[in-house]
Amino acid sequence: MAVAAQETEIIPKPTLAELQARPVVIEVDHLDWSFGARQVLFDVSMKVHEGEIMVIMGGSGSGKTTLLRHLVGLMPPMTDKVKLLGQDLGSLKALDKLDLKRKIGVAFQFGALFSSMNVAENVKLPLRELAHLDEKTMDIMARLKLEVVNMSGFGHLMPAELSGGMVKRASIARAIVMDPKLIFLDEPSSGLDPVVSSALDDLILRLREAMGISVVVVTHDVESAFKIGDRITVLDRGRIIASEPPEQIRVNPNERVQNLINRRSEHVEVDPEEYLRRLAGD
Amino acid sequence: MAAVLRFFDAIGRRTARGFDEWGFGAALLIESVIWIFIGRFYRQPVRFTHTFAEMMRFGIGALPIAALLAATIGLMLAIQSLYSLGLFGAQSFAYIGIALSVTREFSPLIMGILIAGRSGSAISARLATMTINQEVDALQVMGINPVRFLVAPMLIALVIMLPCLAMLANLVSIGAAGLYVSVSLDQTFGSYVYQTLKILKTDDVLHGIIKSSFFGLLIGLIGVMNGAGVSGGAEGVGRVTTRSVVQAITAIVVSDMVIGYLSTH
Repeated sequence: MAVAAQETEIIPKPTLAELQARPVVIEVDHLDWSFGARQVLFDVSMKVHEGEIMVIMGGSGSGKTTLLRHLVGLMPPMTDKVKLLGQDLGSLKALDKLDLKRKIGVAFQFGALFSSMNVAENVKLPLRELAHLDEKTMDIMARLKLEVVNMSGFGHLMPAELSGGMVKRASIARAIVMDPKLIFLDEPSSGLDPVVSSALDDLILRLREAMGISVVVVTHDVESAFKIGDRITVLDRGRIIASEPPEQIRVNPNERVQNLINRRSEHVEVDPEEYLRRLAGD
Repeated sequence: MAAVLRFFDAIGRRTARGFDEWGFGAALLIESVIWIFIGRFYRQPVRFTHTFAEMMRFGIGALPIAALLAATIGLMLAIQSLYSLGLFGAQSFAYIGIALSVTREFSPLIMGILIAGRSGSAISARLATMTINQEVDALQVMGINPVRFLVAPMLIALVIMLPCLAMLANLVSIGAAGLYVSVSLDQTFGSYVYQTLKILKTDDVLHGIIKSSFFGLLIGLIGVMNGAGVSGGAEGVGRVTTRSVVQAITAIVVSDMVIGYLSTH
């Protein structure tokens, strides 16, 4: 009953003008990145404003996961390339970086819950390690966050006992337990059925509304991207080819943007001789 | 010519990878030591509860198999000593060889090999699985240093528990050997123990204890190095686990020989 009520409720979104008047919380400035000889990001620049939900979309191998790893500080730091909450990740000292990381939350594609801990212990982990609160306070905070993601009563379960949707929600609960200013969600709807996926979209919108946090979502789920995104950034072969509100993305003239949002496969020219040469390792 | 070049290319790559891995191991060790001593000042201490849990897992959990192996080694040494010394009619001196070889060599070596197989593989498999499941990434983005949270407790536990197991192995091996020798030579167990205590010096026991601590460190570092460097999913976990056990046992045996040589010359 409660779920049905949530599904029909329309959660209001701020306008682009309202968002752009707010301070910038993420800034990427002309970021290039290569794995060995293979360049995966080309001159990527973007800004995310406070309270904005930015969706990063792209096909497989478009560089969206690499970009996300840069944003959360999992890649080797580069000076003046990525700024979070006004602080340059590349020039921060190790301990300042740890402090900054307390202000962000990340939910990974497959949850990354610690398999040796139950759900409640997973959610409490950042509190236990970083906030140094007493056990009772940590219990209350973990219970509250589990309630926010509709997981109250499941804290005693081990990650192996959870469904795919529950793993994602538990992972989001852990990401928000420190009341971060920014959260990053990697493929939140992957592997979920449409109903659970839609409920998760509502949860993301509700989180922004309740906590006022900025959200960066990396996904290739077009439906979800249009539902939750204030802006959608489309990555194609390591380049940003569009960064606009959903309604503008729908009418974007770029063929590759249209192919992506309309799930059209692209015609790829294959030269048989070239293919055989590469197979032989020449 | 191309084959020769490929051969040297392969050697060069392997050598560079070896240096890279050992550099990583050294960095892990230094970082762990730093977190152990300064973590508390930055409100990120190495947790005693984690360390205690690892000590239970690596040490107490291994007690039954460690005792069984130690007793077997003691009996084997007694059997062989009585046989070989019997050729010269010197069986009554068997206690000397047994006491010195058990405390200086066999206890640290056998316990090292046991823990390399039992816990080194577990460390490697656990870290590899955590790496693949992005649990290590999750720690990093939460601002929890994985070396402080995962590696330091394991290293402390191994460095403390392996000498404890070696001490237990000393007692069990010498006890088992004593029972066999006293029955075979028709002497009392008490006189065997008295002779053993007379011949053993503190240095002999300390030699074994310090060596087993070093073996514990080697097992931990090799397990972590392999686990953290995993690639290729479930197959990769199996590969690094095997690699970790083989490398740890090799490192223990080779370093044992080197330490043995250096300490007697």
